[in-house]
Amino acid sequence: MIRLYDFDLSGNCYKARLLLAILGVEYERRNVDFFPGLKHREPEFLAVNPLGQLPVLEDGDLRLAQSQAILVYVARKYDPSGRWYPLDSPEIAGQVQQWLGFAEGLTATASAARLADGMGFDFDAEAARDGAHKLFAVMDEHLWFQERQGQDWLAPGAAPTVADIACFPYVMLSEEGGISRETYPAIRRWTDRVKRIPGFVVMPGIFPAVLGSQ
Amino acid sequence: MADPLPDPFMLNQWFPISALQDVHDRPRRTTLLGEPLVYFRDGSGCRVTGADGRALPVLEQYACLWTTLGRPEGGLFPIPEYDEPDRRNIAAGSIGVNVSAMRGIENFLDMGHFPYVHTGILGELPHTEVKEYNVELREGGREIVATECLFYQPRASTVSTSGADVEYVYRVPHPTCSVLYKSSPMDTRRLDVIALFGQPTGPESFRGHMVLSILDDVNADDFISYFQLHIFGQDKPILENQMPKRLPLDPRAETPIRADKTSIMYRRWLASNGVTYGVIPAAA
Amino acid sequence: MDSASIAPGWVPVAASEDVIPRHVFQGKLWGQELAIWRADDGYVNVWENRCLHRGVRLSIGVNTGTELVCQYHGWRYANRNAGCTYIPAHPADAPPRTICNRTWPAREAHGLIWTHLGEGEPALPEAAEAPLVLRAVPVRAAPGDVSAALEGFDPGEGLAHRGGLVFGDGASTLRLFVQPMDSGLSAIRGLVSGPLAGEGLALLRRLNTALTAFGRAAEAAARQHPAPAPIPPVYGRVSEELAEMPEMAAGTGKIRVTIAAKTVVAEGIVSLDLRPLRGVLPAFQPGAHIDVALPNGLVRQYSLVNGPGETDRYIIGVKREPQSAGGSLAIHDSLKPGDLLAISEPRNNFTLRRDAEETIFLAGGIGVTPLLAMAAAMAVDDQDFRLHYFAAGQGHLAFPERLAALGERVQPHLGLDPAGTMAALREILSRPGPARQVYVCGPGPMLDAARTIAADQGWPESAVHFEYFRNTHEIDDSSSFDIALARSAVTLRVPAGKSILQVLRENGIAVPSSCGQGACGTCKVKVLEGIPDHQDVYLNNAEKAANDRIMTCVSRAKSDRLILDL
Repeated sequence: MIRLYDFDLSGNCYKARLLLAILGVEYERRNVDFFPGLKHREPEFLAVNPLGQLPVLEDGDLRLAQSQAILVYVARKYDPSGRWYPLDSPEIAGQVQQWLGFAEGLTATASAARLADGMGFDFDAEAARDGAHKLFAVMDEHLWFQERQGQDWLAPGAAPTVADIACFPYVMLSEEGGISRETYPAIRRWTDRVKRIPGFVVMPGIFPAVLGSQ
Repeated sequence: MADPLPDPFMLNQWFPISALQDVHDRPRRTTLLGEPLVYFRDGSGCRVTGADGRALPVLEQYACLWTTLGRPEGGLFPIPEYDEPDRRNIAAGSIGVNVSAMRGIENFLDMGHFPYVHTGILGELPHTEVKEYNVELREGGREIVATECLFYQPRASTVSTSGADVEYVYRVPHPTCSVLYKSSPMDTRRLDVIALFGQPTGPESFRGHMVLSILDDVNADDFISYFQLHIFGQDKPILENQMPKRLPLDPRAETPIRADKTSIMYRRWLASNGVTYGVIPAAA
Repeated sequence: MDSASIAPGWVPVAASEDVIPRHVFQGKLWGQELAIWRADDGYVNVWENRCLHRGVRLSIGVNTGTELVCQYHGWRYANRNAGCTYIPAHPADAPPRTICNRTWPAREAHGLIWTHLGEGEPALPEAAEAPLVLRAVPVRAAPGDVSAALEGFDPGEGLAHRGGLVFGDGASTLRLFVQPMDSGLSAIRGLVSGPLAGEGLALLRRLNTALTAFGRAAEAAARQHPAPAPIPPVYGRVSEELAEMPEMAAGTGKIRVTIAAKTVVAEGIVSLDLRPLRGVLPAFQPGAHIDVALPNGLVRQYSLVNGPGETDRYIIGVKREPQSAGGSLAIHDSLKPGDLLAISEPRNNFTLRRDAEETIFLAGGIGVTPLLAMAAAMAVDDQDFRLHYFAAGQGHLAFPERLAALGERVQPHLGLDPAGTMAALREILSRPGPARQVYVCGPGPMLDAARTIAADQGWPESAVHFEYFRNTHEIDDSSSFDIALARSAVTLRVPAGKSILQVLRENGIAVPSSCGQGACGTCKVKVLEGIPDHQDVYLNNAEKAANDRIMTCVSRAKSDRLILDL
């Protein structure tokens, strides 16, 4: 069985949980007390990932760190339809990859602001917020023009891809870092669409599309 | 808008500023009532210094480091259960929230949101009813106590798979701290204690320090803190989407229902103690 | 199209395409946050973005298509009238009708959603052919500065400044609007009409690029000065009575409605579709009824059939009853579409709990009307229920389309004699349970039978809810006694032949009432002392035994004196 080294309040870990849930893949959650225990800095976890970063996914002999890499692996391995990580069209494959890179930027900005405000991490929250707003502005404009072309998702195509999963958590959790989404209406509509993907699951800080569902 | 000065009632309180487990030799910074503080540990215990470098009074109690910017009349409110030898006392995490500490306390006192915010854990649709309960002032008016609070909880204990009403008792012995008692899944005759100690960093922000004193010899500390953080993480987006961010004390600012008896008393109690910090006082 | 017809009071706060189904758009105007949402019937609501209960933004709630539900405690607010229709923490209470969210006028025109925060009703923008709507460009700078700088904006495309925020080339027009979001936050919106609009997406991209560049420059200029303090939002105060957690108030206001349609919905049953003459109809909950003042002077009560979200009309069902005093005949024979009627605000004495795991509705004949509203409300939430409908035959099943929409959850019981009805009720009510609730509405004998059977089979009285259309028991008004009014320190004599209600009214004490026969519950008053002689069909047996409430229109006293909480 797949094992996920996981922290409940981590948006990066949530990406892996979200795709695994959508694809209906069973896995074992191994809670690593990132906060308040800071167990990711202790030898036991450093033996799993010397970088001390969550999540880490183990599947058989494979051990994989970095949330975007985990999404790519899970999609290639467990999505027989191939639509979550489309490779047929070079143009689409490139754009999916571009948004996976964009997600790294969200981790460096929106996630950093959240860790500073919520968990007392010693980051420059103002700089992180400014950075996040620049990314959100680009994303909102992109999604607005996607909508004008009848496109619901970050990458072209009728179905969502790992790009949407990778960008969703730290956009949705941005208010915890003091980043309002009131000037990003196309982003807000996109987050509603992500919540309606069959198999969608929540994490603390994110509510479901249907009230009181789990 | 300049940050307001604390009113005397707030100024002369002890406030938590860190879990004791997070106090180390290396000094750390935090904020209390708008004032930047530094805290650290040396050979003789925990130390706190104020903005001007002066040493502030210190208490090490209930798994937290407490200090004050004023002159409190005595020590902290009692939590007798904390000293019972068979209990585990756990600091389950400290989380910053961008809303007034009083909004945070009021949410802690609220049961009606369980099925909507803590779905599947503390409540579940369609079981939404908040039944009649009692609330009163005790200890000569120094403390609010709500008793006989019942709410439907799915999988009411670790051994049951079906839902049932769970009983809660809430205490508010401090303007930004509340202590909750809940029947223990391990020993039905005794109660687990879950406390939320609010550190008002500013009038519209606080850090919530969660401390538990529970009867549980099965689960590891990190599982217990995982559970508390999960619950608090679910409350956070609600709290940070409340407007205004300060708790309004004007009875006509919001619409109370019978389920809100405790929070109505809490708002009146804050008003009668002359609290102006973190709240919007009712117009005279 | 010509946007000059738009009055200065109206400001665009969203684009039509922003407000998609089942979504809540988060808007802002002069520091005031707005929750803008479109119901499934197309109506666009512009509300204060704040639940009246605990101040949580409604934009994190859920648009069900008919209602906006707060994420915190599940309070529901209806499309159009913004009235609160359900408070889940108290499932047995009808929310006071007066809990109503703050709304602003909304108009949809030129591909934009418009509102105004001022008083009065400025001229509304006229509808025109759909222009090309630009992407709104947010700019972190003061609206006045952005407006002033835009006059020097060069949109390219051969468009020249024509005054104000209008640019043109003779054939095509670009019209810009600055939406003042806050003291230091603006959104530039724009419309293109004329041949240029035909370029579609490519033009949208070019103008978006130009406006984004303009916005960056405006933001850079704004950063030269300290940012202005945000405008503090105005939070409206709730009414004094809401601050005090009141009992539900009975509506007494008279509303003028017009009959939009009169339709035969079963043998001997017509439905009336009532639309407001002006304004918006008040909110109602499933189970609610209205008083209808008929042309022949009679006042009759009818349950609302409406499901959630049908807030632009009231639907009632009326059975032709030749034996009655003439209310139903007046409706069947003399009313026609276009006629005006006076009705009361809706009152709800038959509230639907929505915290049951399973709900059973028992309808007899025309008694289906409130139960249809309840069933529709539960169907929207996908809650577990079954509607048992007792009727003389297939042709007597009223509102067939509504029944069809409920699908297999409706079970008709046709042509049963009294013994057959009893047997069916025994079968349906054979499994009482703590999380099951029963609602009964129909003819008196059927209600009596259902209540008796439920009690025999062990259903708690609190789980069996009922509404009689009328009290068929003979009222014995031969007693005489005193009533002492605790709050006003007055004692009055109630003689034989007069009701408590009549005596109160003769002495200038206003008590709301409706049916006048102890069926609807409107004239309920608290009893502080004394033993009532209950003759109503509203209270259940346990409530009657408690002797703490009385229906003043029919019930009397067994003791010499009653002390009432009046």
